[in-house]
Amino acid sequence: MSAHAEALSATELVRQSIEGRRLSPVDTLVAFTLLFTLLSSVVILITLLADTIAAAMPVFQSRGLSFVTDSLSPSAEEAGIWQGIMGSLALIGFVIVVAFPLGVAAAVYLEEYASDNRVTRFIGANIRNLAGVPSIVYGILGLFLFVEIFMGGVFGAEGGIGGRNVIAGGLTLAVLVLPIMIITTAEALRAVPRGLRDASLAVGATRWETIRHHILPVAFPAILTGSVLTIARAFGESAALLLAGAQLSLYFSVANDASFVDLVSNQPYTALPIIIYNFARQPQAGFVSLTAAAIVVLLVMLLTVNAAAVLARDRFERRYR
Amino acid sequence: MVIAKTPGGTIIDLSGDIRRRRRERLVKAVFFAAATFSILISLAIVLALVGKASSFVSSIELNQLWADGWFPRRGRFQLPALLVHSLIITGIAMLVAVPFGLGSAVYLSEYARSGVRRVLKPTLEILAGIPSVVLGFFALQFISPNIVRGLFPGAQSANLLSAGIAVGILTVPLVASVAEDAMRAVPLSLREASYGLGAKRWHTALRVVFPAAISGIIAAMILGISRAVGETMVVALAAGLNGILNLNPIEGGLTMTGAMANLAVGSDQVAGDVSAFQSLFFVGLVLFALTLGLNVMSERLVRRYRQRY
Amino acid sequence: MNVRIKRLAGLVAVLALVLAACGDGGGEASTTNADGANGNASGSIVVSGSSTVEPITARVGKAFDEANPGVATSVEGPGTGDGFARFCNGETDISDASRPIKDEEAAACEAAGVEYVELHIATDGLTVMTNPANESVSCLAFTDLYALLGPESEGFASWSDANDLAAELGAPHAPYPDEPLVITAPGEESGTYDTFVELVITKLSEERLGEDNAFTRADYNASQNDNVIVQGISENPTSLGWVGFAFFEENQDVLKAIEIDSGESGCVAPTPETIAGFEYPLSRPLFIYVKTNDLASRPELAAFVDYYLSEEGLAWVSDAGFVQLPADDVAATRAAWEGAAG
Repeated sequence: MSAHAEALSATELVRQSIEGRRLSPVDTLVAFTLLFTLLSSVVILITLLADTIAAAMPVFQSRGLSFVTDSLSPSAEEAGIWQGIMGSLALIGFVIVVAFPLGVAAAVYLEEYASDNRVTRFIGANIRNLAGVPSIVYGILGLFLFVEIFMGGVFGAEGGIGGRNVIAGGLTLAVLVLPIMIITTAEALRAVPRGLRDASLAVGATRWETIRHHILPVAFPAILTGSVLTIARAFGESAALLLAGAQLSLYFSVANDASFVDLVSNQPYTALPIIIYNFARQPQAGFVSLTAAAIVVLLVMLLTVNAAAVLARDRFERRYR
Repeated sequence: MVIAKTPGGTIIDLSGDIRRRRRERLVKAVFFAAATFSILISLAIVLALVGKASSFVSSIELNQLWADGWFPRRGRFQLPALLVHSLIITGIAMLVAVPFGLGSAVYLSEYARSGVRRVLKPTLEILAGIPSVVLGFFALQFISPNIVRGLFPGAQSANLLSAGIAVGILTVPLVASVAEDAMRAVPLSLREASYGLGAKRWHTALRVVFPAAISGIIAAMILGISRAVGETMVVALAAGLNGILNLNPIEGGLTMTGAMANLAVGSDQVAGDVSAFQSLFFVGLVLFALTLGLNVMSERLVRRYRQRY
Repeated sequence: MNVRIKRLAGLVAVLALVLAACGDGGGEASTTNADGANGNASGSIVVSGSSTVEPITARVGKAFDEANPGVATSVEGPGTGDGFARFCNGETDISDASRPIKDEEAAACEAAGVEYVELHIATDGLTVMTNPANESVSCLAFTDLYALLGPESEGFASWSDANDLAAELGAPHAPYPDEPLVITAPGEESGTYDTFVELVITKLSEERLGEDNAFTRADYNASQNDNVIVQGISENPTSLGWVGFAFFEENQDVLKAIEIDSGESGCVAPTPETIAGFEYPLSRPLFIYVKTNDLASRPELAAFVDYYLSEEGLAWVSDAGFVQLPADDVAATRAAWEGAAG
């Protein structure tokens, strides 16, 4: 990246030596217009955040953090988002456990082992296509495969929630983010200098040993960034979960004495973006600021994940450079 | 297998070690399985969609697809209405995303100094990370009352224009990043040659680099279209439920994804009349085919510019 | 190194799952023992159906859960029709409904072997409304409403377009002013829509158009979100629409209720009294339908309904903004439950 910028400034020097320092009036106009388009995004982002925070203030002022720890309730004064936070964390857990190993393994195969033949190119194209599939279609897949066949068939559908459990939701999300994970990991692997691979192979290491001890550590910071993108995507996802079985209700509860297995297979669950969607649909006036407050919490959580990743990446980058 | 024993140590030839070779083969097989898993996912998607969509089509009469409006519970399945509404939203979204996305991309690629870039590019990345429910809420609570209703006082509160604008905002980062990648891939020699011939910066950026990157830029727009067509939460919240074909952007309209969300949220598994809920899969199949076609197109274009440079 | 990272990631994942396991059901759980609630109940209760009744059942469920933490309850509101679909599929234990079960739905339940009891738990009034600034319309009869909103009115863009049809029907409050007719109302999946059609449209549409035409006009702004309906009405000076009384009450300052002309008693406005007494012509009973197939083996379900019908349980009806049943009707409902529960 910086090479391009450096080279651009070299080109800029060339341009300046030919034309002189000042930009022509047309140039200034064009630069302004283009900068305007870029700054508009900044303005829109700021407006969105400001408007949402302003709408959320009444909730935080009157209820403080109890809004975060309360459970859902039909009345706007009591409703809280705790179940959504827990549900989202559980879903992220599934995504990490399922999508990360699968994604890294698939990317490693495509970048390190596979030769450039039609099969490989087909798999690559297929993954890129999957990355562009709308999330509601993944919801259909989740409903068909995970809810009805896996969970409904395995855990039975007589009353109870019939397969709409957090495992099905987690698997749906994992499948949804898998292509992103593969693509970003593959890019990270591609950025590792060729010489490293060659040197390792030259001293007699097998491919796997090369990957494990040399390539993956070097690519790790970039893989981490990709994982964070993946987690952020999964965190904010709602369309797929609408079909895959998250509870879209004003109120639900979970049996207090449920075992862990029972909890993930037989109890209802929901996710924070689903709660936001549900709050946004409610007619009672109090729910507008509640929705805004839930959005603020979601954005804060996303920001935390991103910040943690930036910190982690810096730390690992220092270690391996 | 020991080759030699010297006073300094033992020299072992590991290359033939059966354990290493076996592990290597095992690892390769496992990773290959992981890679082909993605093919299974695609197959599963197609299976789910085609299977259920065909049971829908066989359970209705074909003239129902040309009925007056999309009212699944009344047995009216006018798919063209949904398509038109999706296209209107996509069109509005592109009117927003293309100028702002491409403009930002040209600026970031050709004009921005590294300091400016370091500050402004993350803005686009943050915008890309905002979940679509948030933007849907923004459309409903801010864009619709303040902007759309401000300009067109007669507009309904849920209308295609606000949803389209919000989807456009969502799409800007995607268009910007793909277009920027395409422009950066253009070799510097082209720019230097342009300056050497006396062109000004804007001429270089817009008349040399931009056309050189055109296939990537078109790919960016096609990806943007695909994203806009597939967007669900924004339209579910802000575009309204109007099932009748409506061309007026200040009124609401049910898009393909909106219709699917509507059926999903009221899971209408009416025993004996399966068709209402099954229509969800039918629309899903159309949506999937549409976005697949768009993505394949953009894939071809990206490959073309990658090959050239 | 990367092995350690993978282990760390795995640990984080497990931690997230464990946190979710421990944290669920969070918030402050009070330990008040509600009337008729069995503190030792365990199991799960799944309720689905009308989004109108959802707030009532959700409140009842929450109070019941606080006394019975071992029970998992979920209450959803996809719509009365969709709720019955799930109910007759055996997926839910209780179906909330803002209208009585239809014959086709009852047949579906019978075909699937689902037995149930219908319990009338509250009364709601469909409030037809317009913008407070609309001086020209204050009272309408069913014939007026049919002329404006019925299946023969598709395409009427202004109130006066309906004048001819209204004259034909002998509607008492025609002719209407020549002002834009902007309709925002519930969509077809909601019981509120069904009730409106059944009370206002069906008789006239059957007389004039024959069977299978009991629908409103299709070209209106349908919304699942009562918020949007209220917004649509309040922001259009000559709007028309309808919502349940509870939602109307919450937004009274931006809405104007149209009185309904019932013929004999003249124009009646929706108030808790006129609704409870069914004086208001657009009153509708709210029900819960409880699956009775395996009540013996589902003590938690029986306990839940016992609580619902207790005095404390039914008090949640007014907390949710609906009209409570008068004493006789409460007794009748309780008797129906006793009969079914045995």
